[in-house]
Amino acid sequence: MLDELKELWRFRELLLTMVERELRVRYKNSALGFLWSFIIPLTTMAVLTFVFGYLQDNGMRSFSAYILAAYLPYLFFQQSIMDSSQSVLQYMPLVKKIYFPREILPLAVILGNFVHLLFGFVVFFVYLLVVWLINRGESPFQPTTVLLPVLFFISFILSTGIGLFVAALNTFYEDVKYLTSVALYLLFFLSPITYMSEQVAYSRINIKSGGLIYNIYNLNPIAVLSTAYRQILLAPQGIPVNGVKQVPIMLDPKYLIWTLFLGFATLFGGYHLFNRMKWRFVERP
Amino acid sequence: MSEAAIEVRELYKEFRIKDASIGSLKTLLMWWKKRSVFEVKVLRGISFSVSPGECVAVIGKNGAGKSTLLSLLAKIYRPTSGTVSIQGRLAPLLELGAGFHPDLSGIENIQFNAVVLGLTRKQVAERTQQIIEFSELGDHIYAPVRTYSSGMTARLGFSIAVHVDANVLLVDEVLSVGDYLFEQKCLAKVAEIRAAGGAILLVSHNLETIRMFADRCLWLERGVMRMEGPASEVIPAYLASDSESATASQIRAAP
Repeated sequence: MLDELKELWRFRELLLTMVERELRVRYKNSALGFLWSFIIPLTTMAVLTFVFGYLQDNGMRSFSAYILAAYLPYLFFQQSIMDSSQSVLQYMPLVKKIYFPREILPLAVILGNFVHLLFGFVVFFVYLLVVWLINRGESPFQPTTVLLPVLFFISFILSTGIGLFVAALNTFYEDVKYLTSVALYLLFFLSPITYMSEQVAYSRINIKSGGLIYNIYNLNPIAVLSTAYRQILLAPQGIPVNGVKQVPIMLDPKYLIWTLFLGFATLFGGYHLFNRMKWRFVERP
Repeated sequence: MSEAAIEVRELYKEFRIKDASIGSLKTLLMWWKKRSVFEVKVLRGISFSVSPGECVAVIGKNGAGKSTLLSLLAKIYRPTSGTVSIQGRLAPLLELGAGFHPDLSGIENIQFNAVVLGLTRKQVAERTQQIIEFSELGDHIYAPVRTYSSGMTARLGFSIAVHVDANVLLVDEVLSVGDYLFEQKCLAKVAEIRAAGGAILLVSHNLETIRMFADRCLWLERGVMRMEGPASEVIPAYLASDSESATASQIRAAP
């Protein structure tokens, strides 16, 4: 694996060029071009604000910001993995004709998506600022925001690990892409993105199980990350459960350590599998 | 004698071919179901070397393993056994333009391809103008590559490959794609690279080109080296064997 990493380092210029290309090609034939990177989080924000502020007011202040804080990282995870699954196949003509470390293909699309994640968070912070300037309440910015790079790191290694797995497997078994898209779709509902993880903790089934359900629920790294992003970026507030406001629950660090471990495990596992399979990509029938 | 630019020792390559065309999870899950896997031995123990400044041609019939050999040299395949070592930077001209992205403009593809071939982005920026001039594409360079004709694509691919300071060129039937004037210009450029100490491995069916350029000739037949030597000796032998087998099959076909 060390040799593979050295080779990757030797080709770092290519990786950077691929990321640039990734960002440029995506919106190449669209009139608004790069603005689309901002338009998706912006419109999401606007619709969320309208729906959860007016149509379905659940009693939480600026609930849309809580959704976006968890949705942007989920979007990064989902897009990275879906794009990785196609990355090698898409560049097959190149792979068949010229040598370069093949892992550059999934890595480039993941890094491209990471740049979009950063844009998304720019929109997020601008939104917080605008709301604050209008309402002039307490500052919405939390000091814990400085921990954001840590969460970015975990999200990144997790997405890269799974992305490498999926990229290698999908090159040979094209059903992997469909399986993955179903799994990611279900994961969206199994993670606290449109609801709060406290609602799971306060659910009757969890209390009856003595907290077991909540523990199992947090084995899902995306569930942990969703809650973590929310809690470092936004102020804690009471959670409505069956019409009663319950106190917020801080995320237990053990879940975060588990997620970090899972991130490293998938990264090493994924890279190992990718390296084992990458020489056979060209020999694909 | 300085160190060889290309050194190939006891090179073997076999492909495992499964009967199921495209892999799916179904074939993976139904592991108990026997699949016929057969092995195709494309190269069976090839050894040769090419010195700096030398041009070596590879001839042989379709399916003799010529393209597989070039792909192994370009590190696209991994050898089943044996070694390939290349001193310096290699530019493969295997089916020109295959590494282009159709939606990007010519100039963007230059930047990308030159980096794939090993230049830094700074070097690419310095050479882009030279590459455009050599390709004679003019304003087309700003148009997406999908709008190019095959000749234009070949021009661009060739211009890039000869401007990356490669000292090993792998050339696979590409010199014939451009028009006559451009072909002459390419051959002159190849000669220039060779004079500067570049090694060239040429695969072509155009025996005239080989006679003109190659110092040596390798004749591959069904994965083994049938003959190696000066073009003036190998080509007549190759042609003779060809007519021999042609006559042989004619005789067999006769009632």
